[in-house]
Amino acid sequence: MPIELTGYRGWEGKQRSSWRAVWAIVRTGVLMILRRWVFWLLIGLGLLNFIFNFAFIYLKATLTVQDEGFARFLDQYQVTGTGEAYTEFMRAQATITALLLAFAGASLIGADYRQGGMIYYLSRRIERRHYIVGKLLTVATVVTLITTVPALALYVQYGVLSNSLDYFLDNPRILVGILGYGAVLALVQSLLLFAVAAWVHRAVPLVMCWLGIFVLLEALGAAAREINDNRRWLLLGIWRDMHRIGEWCFGAREPERIPTGPQCAAVLAGVCIVCLIVIIRRVRAVEIVR
Amino acid sequence: MSLIDLQNVTHYYGTHCALQGVTVSLAPGAIGLIGQNGAGKSTLLKILLGLVRPSQGTGAVLGRDIRGSGSELRGRVGYMPEAESFVPGLRGVDLVSLAGELSGMPRKQALRRAHEVLSYLGLEEARYRRSEEYSVGMKQRLKLATAMVHDPDLLLLDEPTAGLDPDGRDSMLALLASLATRHGKSLMLSTHLLGDIDRVCSQVVIVDRGQVRGVGRISELRSEYRGRYRLRWSGVAASFLDSLRSVGVNVDVNGRPDEALAEVPDGWPARRFFELANGSALTLREVHPLEEDLEAVYHRLIQA
Repeated sequence: MPIELTGYRGWEGKQRSSWRAVWAIVRTGVLMILRRWVFWLLIGLGLLNFIFNFAFIYLKATLTVQDEGFARFLDQYQVTGTGEAYTEFMRAQATITALLLAFAGASLIGADYRQGGMIYYLSRRIERRHYIVGKLLTVATVVTLITTVPALALYVQYGVLSNSLDYFLDNPRILVGILGYGAVLALVQSLLLFAVAAWVHRAVPLVMCWLGIFVLLEALGAAAREINDNRRWLLLGIWRDMHRIGEWCFGAREPERIPTGPQCAAVLAGVCIVCLIVIIRRVRAVEIVR
Repeated sequence: MSLIDLQNVTHYYGTHCALQGVTVSLAPGAIGLIGQNGAGKSTLLKILLGLVRPSQGTGAVLGRDIRGSGSELRGRVGYMPEAESFVPGLRGVDLVSLAGELSGMPRKQALRRAHEVLSYLGLEEARYRRSEEYSVGMKQRLKLATAMVHDPDLLLLDEPTAGLDPDGRDSMLALLASLATRHGKSLMLSTHLLGDIDRVCSQVVIVDRGQVRGVGRISELRSEYRGRYRLRWSGVAASFLDSLRSVGVNVDVNGRPDEALAEVPDGWPARRFFELANGSALTLREVHPLEEDLEAVYHRLIQA
């Protein structure tokens, strides 16, 4: 329709707090991932693991009633409703998430640097802190949707399918563990991804950096430990550190095991602080008006 | 109330002074911002958007303190950057709607308003296409849509016709002029194309090396040049030129026998040329008052 024939109408609503815009950033980011079929391959892998566990728990609950011996046989597998079982499930899910984020980081954050998304966001009413929080929450939401939410669903399913609801009363620590481990995974991965993608904007270099952080550092730590016979070198493995904190959230107490939980927590805290500094500096460096 | 009111605004980047003692008071309307690269235009835009606080000086945009909350300022100001500024993968309508939400609009209202603005800008049929699939002209309009989705009182436009073909440029300028004149929007147009400013804007700010060299209505800046005429004649002009000089007119014949540029004193009526010509042996064929175009105004003020 020609411009002359269309009218311009004003808007006179009340503007909301800039923090509400954070939700819009999160929603847009998550939908961006869900729209691409490539990512659905990895999401599907995560779903497959979840469905397998879901079916296993259901099968076990059914067979426990019919044949307790067979149920004990099934207990050999890790779907036992214990903290360890959830830790392992979440670890597997987190591996899938890490792969997904390695590929999604370039479009979620890197593209904002390459294709003017930063100018788009930061020339609006929001401040840079809202943008940073929005992007971190986007990654955290993806991680939570693939790790914490399925684990919670399995926890509820296990409890509901047990003979009584005592499972929930007897195992409150599992709930704390799922939420705690999920929070650690979400926090560390979101900060790491943002920091790396803020430096390396394109997909392939980002995947290589991401793998370097999670695989190469772990391998280096293991090799250094072999050479120096000092288990503290294992702290280099960020993945291992997160898992250790996850185990602690689920109530595992192994004070003599090196590296210790506090050591792992200190390393992760350090990594998070460095990432946060990098993120703030990289976002601050963006020139909105050139 | 002034649209933009700056008092002695100075801004430093480290030791480099990007803006020095800028004092302007601009009424609502379409304003052109002219200056060479590095003149301080971008810094001025940043200050008007609340993205940086000036090192010194005070001021207000739309009655809001420029040293106050930048986000509050951007809630009433829309910015259309020169560079591409899109979120890849989003459809036009989603992009505009998201811009509305980022500007503080509720989601449903932002979506409805996105449809309205895209229709107004002639992108109705392309709104469900991804921004990457838009042509250059459509991208410019899309950027304008994201800048005006929250109905700002002031639009800051950075090179809005950059990369457009003549038709696209024409259409964009018509659109901007319509926004300013028919819909009462205030615009600040930063561009190197003085013709664009001449066509859309009524006021201009000329910046050079961090200082404002000229500010005000374009018509008033041009009027500073009034009192110059081009004269053409046939016949012998010596006595005519002498009589002009004797009454205080500066005459520049510039080597041509039948033409001269005359700079007259204040209050000079044009008919005096004919009166003086009557007493000479020549026929005055043309008395043409000269008027500066914006480019000439710009060069005159910069050189001054």
